[in-house]
Amino acid sequence: MSGFVGRIALGVLWVLLAPLLPGIINRVKAWVAGRRGPPVLQLYYDLHRLWQKGVVQSHLASPGFIAGPAVAWVAVLGAALLVPLGPAGTGLSFRGDVLLMLYLLALGRFATAWAAMETGSAFEGMGAAREVTFAVLAEAALVAAMLALSVQSGSLSLLTMLVPSGGAAAVLLAAGLFTVLLAENCRVPFDDPNTHLELTMIHEVMVLDHSGPPLAVILHGASLKLLLFSVLLVESVLPVRSLAPPASAALLAGGVLATIVGVGVVESLLARFAFRRVPLLLLTALLFCVFALLVAWQGGVA
Amino acid sequence: MTLGALLAISAGTLVSSLAFAGRRWSHLWLALTLAGVLFALTAALLVLSGARAWEWHGPILVGVEPAHLRLDAISALFLVPVCVIGGLGAVYAREYWSDHHQPLSAARGRAWWSVQLLSLTLVLTASNGLYFLAGWEVMALSSFFLITLDRRRAEVRAAGWLYIVASHAGTLALFAFFALLAARTGGWDLGPIGARPELASLFWLALLGFGVKAGALPLHIWLPSAHANAPSHVSAILSGVGLKMGIYGIVRFSGWMPVPASAGWALLATGAASAVVGIVFAFAQTDVKRLLAYCSIENIGVILAGLGLALLAASHGEARWGQLAAAGALLHVWSHAAFKSLLFFGAGSVLHATGTREMSRTGGLWRTMPWTASTFAVGAVAVSGVPPLNGFVSEWFVYLGLFDAASAPGRAGWGAALVALALASAGAVALATFVKAGAMIFLGSPRTKAATFATESGNWMRAPMVLLAATCVVVGLLPMLVWPAVARAVGAWAPSGVAPAAPAALATLSRAHVALALAVTVVVGLLVHRVRTVGLRRSLTWDCAYAVPTARMQYSAGSFSAIAVGWFRWILLPERALRRVRGALPARASYIERIPDLVLARVVGPVGDLITRFAMTARRAQHGRLQSYILYVLAGLTMLGALASLGGAR
Repeated sequence: MSGFVGRIALGVLWVLLAPLLPGIINRVKAWVAGRRGPPVLQLYYDLHRLWQKGVVQSHLASPGFIAGPAVAWVAVLGAALLVPLGPAGTGLSFRGDVLLMLYLLALGRFATAWAAMETGSAFEGMGAAREVTFAVLAEAALVAAMLALSVQSGSLSLLTMLVPSGGAAAVLLAAGLFTVLLAENCRVPFDDPNTHLELTMIHEVMVLDHSGPPLAVILHGASLKLLLFSVLLVESVLPVRSLAPPASAALLAGGVLATIVGVGVVESLLARFAFRRVPLLLLTALLFCVFALLVAWQGGVA
Repeated sequence: MTLGALLAISAGTLVSSLAFAGRRWSHLWLALTLAGVLFALTAALLVLSGARAWEWHGPILVGVEPAHLRLDAISALFLVPVCVIGGLGAVYAREYWSDHHQPLSAARGRAWWSVQLLSLTLVLTASNGLYFLAGWEVMALSSFFLITLDRRRAEVRAAGWLYIVASHAGTLALFAFFALLAARTGGWDLGPIGARPELASLFWLALLGFGVKAGALPLHIWLPSAHANAPSHVSAILSGVGLKMGIYGIVRFSGWMPVPASAGWALLATGAASAVVGIVFAFAQTDVKRLLAYCSIENIGVILAGLGLALLAASHGEARWGQLAAAGALLHVWSHAAFKSLLFFGAGSVLHATGTREMSRTGGLWRTMPWTASTFAVGAVAVSGVPPLNGFVSEWFVYLGLFDAASAPGRAGWGAALVALALASAGAVALATFVKAGAMIFLGSPRTKAATFATESGNWMRAPMVLLAATCVVVGLLPMLVWPAVARAVGAWAPSGVAPAAPAALATLSRAHVALALAVTVVVGLLVHRVRTVGLRRSLTWDCAYAVPTARMQYSAGSFSAIAVGWFRWILLPERALRRVRGALPARASYIERIPDLVLARVVGPVGDLITRFAMTARRAQHGRLQSYILYVLAGLTMLGALASLGGAR
């Protein structure tokens, strides 16, 4: 999608769709546990409420405390605009945009961790340290996945490189990217978004001190990131982009829904892992992606 | 002709500035130095914007060799940071190393600064082996005297000695390199050598000599302590410019000479290893200047990896990804010079204000030092290689080359993919490192009295930081401005001599960066406006509802990197001293962790001890008893006689 209006429309689409996902996950978890659970649109209500609320801020925080969430949100939205949203396409596409996407996510991480450190709280220090350290392995896995996609499509642009090959590479990529999705979005088994113990949290503890509109921006950014990773996962594995627009949109929606239900099911069945096991799981994800790369090379040679 | 005149004026001004380094004339010194670097900068920019390369054959000055100078696009590319950092460092030093605070060494510092700039320019323009070596030696010596400006402190002297010894070990390799080259080509004059494949193996000697200067792993032993203990403006020029001389040498001679087929692989592997190990060590540091020094090793690694890929491409007949990687590497020379000097200036400003380099003894400085804090933050974003600043642009080129090469079948694809993974992990650790550095120093609450009462630096120190931060932003948003210069240097380096065309994606990337910057400004503005509208209340930091948090309860620099230090224990080999809390009435408990340099403490140190021990043993034979000495002579003569008669018998 090109043109200024088209890009704005695409951005609005991403922004409006994103908060659906956490609602669906909560619904799935409630369903597995036999509860009724909050409505699917709960996050929209929460965001609306937070936007109206006042802000309490630490004495120690600099202006970066408010700017951090804003920068992170823009960075994630920018990254999302580079990923083709099914038939709607991308906001911008060029050779090497995949690297811009990866590093925009890194910018978001920088801004979030920076804002967390603003308060001088040891808990937030812990969260930020975990976030940036675990991201090393997650990023390596993500780069390996992108390398695999780039090798099998011979392209360096997200618009043309998300061409699933099917077979073993797709299975390996799906496993690797799903694990990275759980880690990057701080879901079980890496992090527990519902825990009440600050000592064991990663992402949630980084935003402990945020309130009001900045917290709304953070929560929305998190849902946007979840949508981005789900779309990326689905399009790397299913031939979304090669279908006619209605079928393509339906397949993408179905795939994202399946992914999100998967996240909810994992969350219902697993407990959070001990921190020392997190690197092992991330290394496994990295290996899945590296093996996908090997398969892609094989495909190229054969 | 104009280029020659500009360079001559620049050299003349810099030489005459030496006369005014004293306290009374320090204004004039600064004016002359700035004029000198401006003239040289103009010459370099003229060459980079397409003027014909300048070459000059002069009279005999050193030994029996006529002077031969040359300024082509490669020299000019490296001359630009010399001029920029040389000028800004001189301005910065006016306050940072002022006559008032350093009455003993300020004038000396100015004089050696001029010598350093002159020698750097000579190294970059010399086109004759002897002149090159002369410039190289003066550069090493002036760096030594700059590092040891504050020579009353023992650790400064130790760092200086380590530097000069390591530097001379490298120079030794270069002496051998130039001498062998001269012997085989029949002259000391340097220039494109052409197809002489038998000379290729000499490149390894050059790589050794220049690798020491560049601080590539495992030749980096001098780097951390020298950068940490030198005055901060000196650290800035050492890191931003000095290390690049090693890179210049590698670029220069891999362009002029035939290189061994495996040189590309060697550079690629060294680069990847330097990047990962360097940044892991950086993350584990608690001293901000040592952290920056180790991070320089990482950036040198990125540059070397790019150059290695370019050499690999040349031997694979693949011009396209090689040119991208070479352009990325050369652009990273500029990027690193800008953001690392900025960060060293920032660290110097903090050191100036608080008197400590330990990050865990600072904190909360954004309130008292807003200029330093905000420019350091820009530098931290740039060095983390995230958009929209200059660090991302140069790494983006290197990655493009790597991703392209990864699609190639065979070993090149394998190698490129592995290096891409290594650089990606290194990039993520770099981000963690600079979140830590920025947050520990500038965020939270002050951990010591000195940090509480810190004051912002004055205009002389602020201006260079602001200018460098602006450079990082401008190059990041408008990379097309610098592309022609980098492309000309790549063209001058590549055997084909053709400057690569700008990739079409660069303009799009630039637009994306500008859009990102605009969006960030708008959204931050909106959010701040919204927060003002709904009302802002200040309160305590939420620490699990604990009502009296103290500054000492904050996360420290060591704890921030604890997880990563645990992962990389096998290479960091931390030394720990732990006194546990014991008994019902425990005495003081303590925990000290330090991370010595791997190569220095585990390889160079033990080997040096071994040599010393052997020498001490051998020394027992020298005891001053004449009788024994006569016995030695007799034994020697007998052995010689035996050898001679045995040889005669055969």
